[in-house]
Amino acid sequence: MNCSDCKDKLDRYLDRELSNTEMLELQLHLEGCPPCAENYEFQAGLKRLVKVCCEQDKAPEAFREKLRQILT
Amino acid sequence: MAESPPQTAFAEEALSHLDTLYRGALRLTRDPDAAQDLVQEAYLRALRYQHSYQPGTNMKAWLFAIMRNLFWDRFKGSRKEDVSLDDVGEFVLYDKLRDEGARPEADVLDKLAASEVVAAVEKLPPLHREVVLLVDVEGFSYKDAAETLGVPIGTVMSRLHRARQQLQKSLYDYAVESGIVRGNGTKEVPNQ
Ligand SMILES: [Zn+2]
Repeated sequence: MNCSDCKDKLDRYLDRELSNTEMLELQLHLEGCPPCAENYEFQAGLKRLVKVCCEQDKAPEAFREKLRQILT
Repeated sequence: MAESPPQTAFAEEALSHLDTLYRGALRLTRDPDAAQDLVQEAYLRALRYQHSYQPGTNMKAWLFAIMRNLFWDRFKGSRKEDVSLDDVGEFVLYDKLRDEGARPEADVLDKLAASEVVAAVEKLPPLHREVVLLVDVEGFSYKDAAETLGVPIGTVMSRLHRARQQLQKSLYDYAVESGIVRGNGTKEVPNQ
């Protein structure tokens, strides 16, 4: 695996969508390639950040109750 | 009103996915009242089409599909023009920040306000936004996202890639505007 393969597969690695073998190949590349590893850390940090920031919104309790009334 | 136990059980299970549906609707409509309307309509429709849900399959994905289909029905008028994302090229925020001498993670990611990240997500065209919501926020697999959206897995992947590029670009622009990083060839914005 070279840096360009690594870049191509980075989304799928981040999202755990590669086969076990490919995950391992990419992991080995990251262990031996600091620039790719740092980029990976950054992309993973961004993905986490998007999740954490968007997850802060929860359905209001009053709305949940209203739905429960309507639906059950 | 005495409902049969199966319907109550179905409704309870459906309601256990309310936060996911509400968050999704809120990001799609960008309006809390519209989000509640959309979610309520989605739940009523789900109850009406309860028989088309196969027990044991992914109810969260099934409900999300109902909600986003309702959203798109309402959105139809602007379907063409508002949904495509200009090709931003291979914009890699990480590389750009490195070139500018910043420490991308410590200097930038840690300093972004949650509201700015949400704003950047909401700025994505809805076709791209919904992929980010499913995969990044709700943790759907590409396969589940593809089924929910009714598109091939390859489309999920390309939309996701585009969306992430655009997201990084928006956040970079914000970081420059707010003085978190100094943009290339621009003057440093003084902190107010
Ligand atoms: Zn590399």
